[in-house]
Amino acid sequence: MADGSTPPNPEPGGPVPAVRPFLVTAGRVAPDPSGRTMPVETQVVATAEGLAVLDRLAFEQHDIVAACRIPQSIAEIAARLRLHLNVVRILAEDLRTAGQLTVHVPDTDVTHDASVLRRLIDGLRAIPDSRGVLRDTD
Amino acid sequence: MTPTEPATRPSAAPSAAVRPPLPVKMVIAGGFGVGKTTAVGSISEIEPLTTEAAITEVAAGVDDLSHTPRKTTTTVAMDFGCITVDPTLKLYLFGTPGQERFGFMWDDIVEGALGGLVIVDTRRLDDCYAAVDYFEHKQIPFAVAVNAFDGKVEHTLDEVRWALDVSERVPVIVFDARERGSVRDALLVVLEQALARTQA
Repeated sequence: MADGSTPPNPEPGGPVPAVRPFLVTAGRVAPDPSGRTMPVETQVVATAEGLAVLDRLAFEQHDIVAACRIPQSIAEIAARLRLHLNVVRILAEDLRTAGQLTVHVPDTDVTHDASVLRRLIDGLRAIPDSRGVLRDTD
Repeated sequence: MTPTEPATRPSAAPSAAVRPPLPVKMVIAGGFGVGKTTAVGSISEIEPLTTEAAITEVAAGVDDLSHTPRKTTTTVAMDFGCITVDPTLKLYLFGTPGQERFGFMWDDIVEGALGGLVIVDTRRLDDCYAAVDYFEHKQIPFAVAVNAFDGKVEHTLDEVRWALDVSERVPVIVFDARERGSVRDALLVVLEQALARTQA
């Protein structure tokens, strides 16, 4: 590893890259003091403050804020940065507290509303059968 | 339960330049190798991504002398993709590894899902029982989609329905995980279920 340390739990064969997962979270495993887990689709966006201090942020924090110039779900951040989902949850909460990210937890009353379902249904119906660019206007 | 709340709960940071879309999700479940990732990849606008999710399992009490459930955390791969419906609405599709490990430990991923699609290989019906039970127990709208491998289905839909013992309300359909239009239509069946439930 770049920092010369040995991963604390060097299990072979595990699919997770050795990212010293919970070292970067100072050992914390519970993402939210309220006890509610941040849903995997929760959107995260970098703030101007976060981008302004980007160069001063540590590795994972830096990468998360940089990735969130474009709104991302925490699942996308975890996948793209190859970080454990719960590590992203914890770091996102830290960065939110520091004002460097905004975290948008979906409200299930809104997402399950009939109007949202109708928009989704209409949106999906508009998806063509094949992947090719549609040239016909049928 | 505060209807006046905005769609999302932004943190107090006035400088957030970009407003993210409202994220919604559906879950694609089923046994190993049944076509979950294929289905996600057929319709997702991005190549399916993989992340490692932690699940908590209560170990079977084989060597358990203390009578306290021994909890272990397992890391499993979860594939997902997305469809941007419009700049304000984005659908995520999460493929969850299934079989017997599909259970309460998936609450972390499934919580808040609009619905589920349980993909079935008729040669291995057993593999999807846990997913069917899960969605029924959680009262999440879902449909059973028989993946027509090589265009063939080994059992009739009535036989599948009977074998899975799903209620009449649960649609049982045939689809092809490789075909975008077919995956789209299967998702629409689930969403119609979800919509009907809001109007019940």
